[in-house]
Amino acid sequence: MKVLLAWSSPHPERTIAVAMRRCYSTKPIEDIETELEQKGPEYWKYLLGKALQDKSLDVLEHFVLTLVVEEVAPAEMGRLTRNFPYLRATQLGSNDWLLTLNARTLVELWKDPRGKSFAETIVAELSQKGVCPIFSELAFGVKVNAS
Amino acid sequence: MRAKLLYHTDLDAIKRVLSQKGVAFEPDVVMDHVVYMFEIEDCSRVTTHQLVRHRAVSYDQESQRFSAATREGVVTPPSVQSNDAGYRAYDEALKAVYGAYEKMVAAGIPKEDARYILPGAIKTKLVMTLNARSLMHLVWQRTALQAQWEIRELAATLHLLAQEATPELWTKIIER
Repeated sequence: MKVLLAWSSPHPERTIAVAMRRCYSTKPIEDIETELEQKGPEYWKYLLGKALQDKSLDVLEHFVLTLVVEEVAPAEMGRLTRNFPYLRATQLGSNDWLLTLNARTLVELWKDPRGKSFAETIVAELSQKGVCPIFSELAFGVKVNAS
Repeated sequence: MRAKLLYHTDLDAIKRVLSQKGVAFEPDVVMDHVVYMFEIEDCSRVTTHQLVRHRAVSYDQESQRFSAATREGVVTPPSVQSNDAGYRAYDEALKAVYGAYEKMVAAGIPKEDARYILPGAIKTKLVMTLNARSLMHLVWQRTALQAQWEIRELAATLHLLAQEATPELWTKIIER
């Protein structure tokens, strides 16, 4: 199986933090964004850690990944999309797929033996591209040097 | 009511993948893979109750457990605004409800319990992330003439924002 990142939500950790602050703040979005910029990545990490600890995984759904997945037979992709219904897969070739999922589904894949190896391949690609170092460290224990 | 597009999928990135794989670009091929994240502010909870019926959408909404409600933060429908007797009744009811809410909170009732009496008219804020397929269904259904006025305004605004961001996906509304 090969996984290549085609696109991901910009500023994933800050985006998750925006969703968290939206629940607890009465302020307009611009004020929340300014507050998050001022407080910086350590604060996003604190919020993200809290979401993972409390299992408030809904906020992770705003971080979305689109991947090219190669060398996966239709039967195997069928098994994955049956077990993980929030995966969106479109066949591009006999064993090639365009796949979109959000970070909550990625965490669910990681925690489930039926999805773990697939999740590991995705996380390795994210680490290599330096997409979400804080998220990778907190959710999967993967240390990444941000690009 | 105000809506703002916070980000959307870079359609060119998806088109590059299709081109490398020799797959022709068609809106229907990519609609599950193009997502939009919106901020929606100052629409009523009446409208967000309708909005959250749409599936395959991620929502995070301002919580009434933690933020105090204020009298200023309500939506008044045009039919009420333009009807003197109707507006008087609306205003009296809101005064009574908010008066009771403030007394309950002052008496030590937690906001999460005092909120039980708050009106559907109360303004709210939320973020929402969804793909183009879900958004197109929402736009098709909620811009229909039979839809309620406030969600029609919201759906029309979301449609406009998505169309500006990714015009190639919005040349026609596919009914499903």
